[in-house]
Amino acid sequence: MGKRADSMKDFWLSGELFVWMTASGVAVSLLMVGAMLALIMVNGLGQFWPATLHQIVLKTQETLIGQLVGQEVIPNSVTLDRPDGLNRFRYRVGNRDVFGSEYRWVNGDDIISTSRPEDLTFVERREWGPAFGRLGIVGKDGKPEASDGQTWSAIGALVQESAALRHRIEHVERDEIGAINYRLEKVRRERRALMLDGRLSSREADVDRRLVDQIATLERDYRAKTVTLEQLHQEAGQKSLLLTLANGPTLRLTLDQVVAVSRPNDMTWSDKSVAYLHNLWLFVSSEPREANTEGGIFPAIFGTVLMVFLMTIAVMPFGVMAAVYLREYARQGVLVRLVRIAVNNLAGVPSIVFGVFGLAFFVYALGGTIDQLLFPESLPNPTFGTGGILWASLTLALLTVPVVIVATEEGLSAVPRDFREGSVGLGATKFETIWHVILPCALPGILTGLILAMARAAGEVAPLMLTGVVKLAPALPLDGYEPFLHLDRKFMHLGFHIYDVGFQSPNVEAAKPMVYMTTLILILMVVLLNWTAVMLRNRLRKRFAMSPV
Amino acid sequence: MRPMIDRLARAVITVGGLATIVSILGIFFFLFRDVTPLFTAPSAKLTQRLSVPAALAAEGPAQVAVDEHREIAQVLTSGAIQFIDLASAQPVPIEMPSGFTARSITAMAHGGGRTSRYAVGTADGEVLILKVGTLTDFSDQGERRKRPHIHAGYPIPLTKSPIVRLAFRANDQGSLLALVSEGGRLLVVRLAADDVEGDNPLITELPQPNGAVTALALDASFENLYVGTTEGQVVHVGLYETEPPEVRSSYTVAAPSTAVTRLGFLSGDRSLVVMTADGAVSTWGLVRRTDTPSGWRLTHMHTFRSHPAPVTAFAPSQRVKGFVTGDAKGNLFLHHATSSQTLLRLTSGEFPVRTVAFAPKGDGLISLDEAGHLALYQVDNAYPEVTFATLFGKVWYEGYDEPAYVWQSSSGSDDFEPKLGLMPLAFGTLKGTMYALLLAVPVAILAAMCTSQFMHPDLRAKIKPIIEVMAALPTVVLGFLAGLWLAPLLERYLPAMAGMALTLPLLVIASSLVWYLLPPTFRRRLRPGQEALLLIPLLAMGMGICLWANSFLEAWWFGGDIHAWLSNRLGIQYDQRNALVVGLVMGFAIVPVIYSIAEEALANVPKTQIAGSLALGATRWQTVLHLVLLSASPGIFSAVMIGFGRAIGETMIVLMATGNTPLMDWNWANGFRTLSANIAVEIPEAPHGESLYRVLFLAALLLFFVTFVINSLAEIVRQRLREKYSHG
Repeated sequence: MGKRADSMKDFWLSGELFVWMTASGVAVSLLMVGAMLALIMVNGLGQFWPATLHQIVLKTQETLIGQLVGQEVIPNSVTLDRPDGLNRFRYRVGNRDVFGSEYRWVNGDDIISTSRPEDLTFVERREWGPAFGRLGIVGKDGKPEASDGQTWSAIGALVQESAALRHRIEHVERDEIGAINYRLEKVRRERRALMLDGRLSSREADVDRRLVDQIATLERDYRAKTVTLEQLHQEAGQKSLLLTLANGPTLRLTLDQVVAVSRPNDMTWSDKSVAYLHNLWLFVSSEPREANTEGGIFPAIFGTVLMVFLMTIAVMPFGVMAAVYLREYARQGVLVRLVRIAVNNLAGVPSIVFGVFGLAFFVYALGGTIDQLLFPESLPNPTFGTGGILWASLTLALLTVPVVIVATEEGLSAVPRDFREGSVGLGATKFETIWHVILPCALPGILTGLILAMARAAGEVAPLMLTGVVKLAPALPLDGYEPFLHLDRKFMHLGFHIYDVGFQSPNVEAAKPMVYMTTLILILMVVLLNWTAVMLRNRLRKRFAMSPV
Repeated sequence: MRPMIDRLARAVITVGGLATIVSILGIFFFLFRDVTPLFTAPSAKLTQRLSVPAALAAEGPAQVAVDEHREIAQVLTSGAIQFIDLASAQPVPIEMPSGFTARSITAMAHGGGRTSRYAVGTADGEVLILKVGTLTDFSDQGERRKRPHIHAGYPIPLTKSPIVRLAFRANDQGSLLALVSEGGRLLVVRLAADDVEGDNPLITELPQPNGAVTALALDASFENLYVGTTEGQVVHVGLYETEPPEVRSSYTVAAPSTAVTRLGFLSGDRSLVVMTADGAVSTWGLVRRTDTPSGWRLTHMHTFRSHPAPVTAFAPSQRVKGFVTGDAKGNLFLHHATSSQTLLRLTSGEFPVRTVAFAPKGDGLISLDEAGHLALYQVDNAYPEVTFATLFGKVWYEGYDEPAYVWQSSSGSDDFEPKLGLMPLAFGTLKGTMYALLLAVPVAILAAMCTSQFMHPDLRAKIKPIIEVMAALPTVVLGFLAGLWLAPLLERYLPAMAGMALTLPLLVIASSLVWYLLPPTFRRRLRPGQEALLLIPLLAMGMGICLWANSFLEAWWFGGDIHAWLSNRLGIQYDQRNALVVGLVMGFAIVPVIYSIAEEALANVPKTQIAGSLALGATRWQTVLHLVLLSASPGIFSAVMIGFGRAIGETMIVLMATGNTPLMDWNWANGFRTLSANIAVEIPEAPHGESLYRVLFLAALLLFFVTFVINSLAEIVRQRLREKYSHG
């Protein structure tokens, strides 16, 4: 007994317990990071793999076609004679328009048989989410075009044809009609500006007549294009496929509703890999559909990158200038030290506060004034007096400027004294020393700061919500119409996309995998930027550690 | 040339650098500037004073009003109805309804709210309903035109003797009148809306109260009549559509034999304003009480500054819960119910105030005194409901049983009393922060101790960046995971969670014991710090087992249903998005922040001190516990402070992982709303420049201030620590 007590005391004194307790802190941290990344990767990357379609026959004689997406033990089903409880399965049965919901729980007890017939077809549609079923006759104007056996071979060409048509429709809609609308809007604005002071001089009246003519011409063009568009839509609607659903009814899908058709059960592993990459590419390169719950996230990626880019342009000169001033020009004393602490602490001020400031200062104060001075013809519709990509970028620039200042100062202070003295000794002025010697040496530090600022900016959402991000922007902030970069436009953002689709969308369940993938892309962006910054910083440290001091 | 460039560069950098620094520090002042209007004192100035034409100066009841642009005033007295163009101070000619001029008017009442309807009582015991107002329309040139109009209904005979007091309310269904005739008879009259000629008034007589009736008030629900008497009492009468009226209770509202001079309602007709002959002004509301037979009790809510003379006039604001009272010495007091404040005192002349009214937008007042002076005031009182007391104290709102801390900024109804109490939000902010720190502080500090003291430098160089890169994770990602992944998961696996809280620490203790008992040769294979790597699979396994055993644990510990168990045993209602979820995820978000600073502090404890301690015979962990931890404690403190500052301002996680319900309850199983999330939710809907907008700015300013102070403190502590060690 005594011996055991002694050994317990020894154990206590050895501190092993203490060491392991501290180790548990590290273990928990790492476990959390790992679990989170794994969770996001599995959920995000898994969705592009063409999932097997199951055909399930239930005891009620009902047949289902769906993808298995989850299973669980039914709560409270564990009893004495059933120690393992009852399982239930969650299937994605698609056809939201017919079934009302895209998902369905099926109790394991109710299933008679499950099979994977090769002819089950997955149809991705433009609206209402995917449809699962068996492909029936492909008809043109209601007439059968291919017999049963040929259906599948004919369908590929048809889908491609419809895609080409779709492409043309989009071209007419977006590029041609878009251009007309853009010019029309511009001419109308010019005319309003002309009318603004109430009276027209004779010269102005001439201009006005010319503008009216232009408007008439443009409106004629516009009507012509709508006719073309109408024809194209009709053409697209002519062909259709019939999809026989699991429980009998047939769904008639016109080809312009169909995005893609596949038979996942009939695909080989390599087919699936190709399809996987293709789906992934579509996701990052195409536009969202169905209130952002389907399609791609290209506008969000684009918006994020452009916003960060604009922010970088704004933040770099000012951040570097402030740091150079603080380190090289200001007299080092209590005041500069206080300023330094204050600037440092601004990095810890909640981002929402910057958002509020951006709303009040940039949007209302600055934007409102700009509107009154430069765009009086558009009032009361605000141009810059509402949220937009410029205000969002500037708000984030303000948010991240402390990061740049701190990092640049660190870089500047790491430049050895000898360099300065050498340069000044050779007759260079202070500015020449800074420009030719100190700044090049401090460049990695400056870049580190910039990259950290970019990483922070890319991940911030709260301030953007007040200064110009939207769930769905009708047009990118950068396009082919003069002035090309539309700083007043609202934009989409990956982070806000996550918030919006995850919490504001009507069909959260179906959108969840997409949100995971968006999340993954955002994390990749931020983490890559951070790692680059860390690498740069390490290089910087090594470089000056080796220099003789 | 070169010196010039140098000087130019110096100038540019100095100006640019200073401008940048000043502008980022200027954020504070800009926010401050947008908040200050909230606390500026309201003001009013007399814009016009004119004597009304003789026809209007007759004795008796009177009513005034002014249109929304304050261009046309209307005055109703027993002698005439007159519109006055205020720009020229001239009467606007208009035809009088014959029914009005032919009768001797003895009582008058306004229909309440924004209506243009009035009821007048005559010496013959009749009541006449009038519509008197000013319409605004626009000419083809866009010019604004005002068109005064008067419509009179048919006279409705109700009693034989002259009507001396009248109360009136009208809505789509009809009109309700309460009146007192000269003999002291108290009648309630109901008129259906389609009864244009007033043929079928439904008249009920009420018992006469003690003392003479001096004031009447009807509410817009047509359910309550309040009768004020000379004895300082208010009698509450319940009115029903089908049953006869019932006297509910009578309340003593003033000293005995101090008459109630006026009764009136604030906009929305829920708060009764009681004014007496000794100048007292107070508001009363029906509050649910079990000790009365009806279940309701008229309760004293707010008291305002007393007038030096009997109160003679009253008017509610048409938009907010403000009102104005006038007295027999010519004073006008402007009050606001929510803030329980008397905002302004206006005095114009020494004549008693006969009647007073607010301009429709609340930006003006019009009053008429016994000498026939019409006075117009411009009132600048944009934020009457916001004071320090209403923001941070308990406020007795309409419809509440007692004063409370409430945040509810808007609702569908027009007569809504905005409840802008910041306390529930400040509470929510603290709650979320506390739960987050509860998780983050131990994990981060333990991890910091491990990597800084017990870990091989090579391993440390790998692990430290991994933990630190967590700090860069966008919080929207964590919020998304918290709301859509963790919250539903936790709801189902709550028993497993309880199991983990119990078994994981035991697992750590057990593994350290097992390790201690292993032969030393085996133990030496592990490099210092690899315990952590060993623990990862062990902990993962422990968690896995707990999850697997979830239903078993639920059956064993919680009677098969943990949510029922929680609500029956502990009285806890479990919300899916709750403080526990936020604590876990926000804790996760601030672990790297605390870790990074604490690690630095621990690692910077001079090696000489550690070596000294070890040389004196202390073991490694004794050294850490008694020396290192103590030396680095200011640094660890500042790490916790910075983590605290980060958690306070965190927006996206709380926005997505709590229900955003502004509750005040420390319970882990329900949600809350923080200052930051509140700003994000409400500012897009807040009208620019109004109370809510500015209160949200105040919330932002508070966040700014708190985080700035906390971070500054932490920074100063850190710098001191650094200096201490750098000097040896």
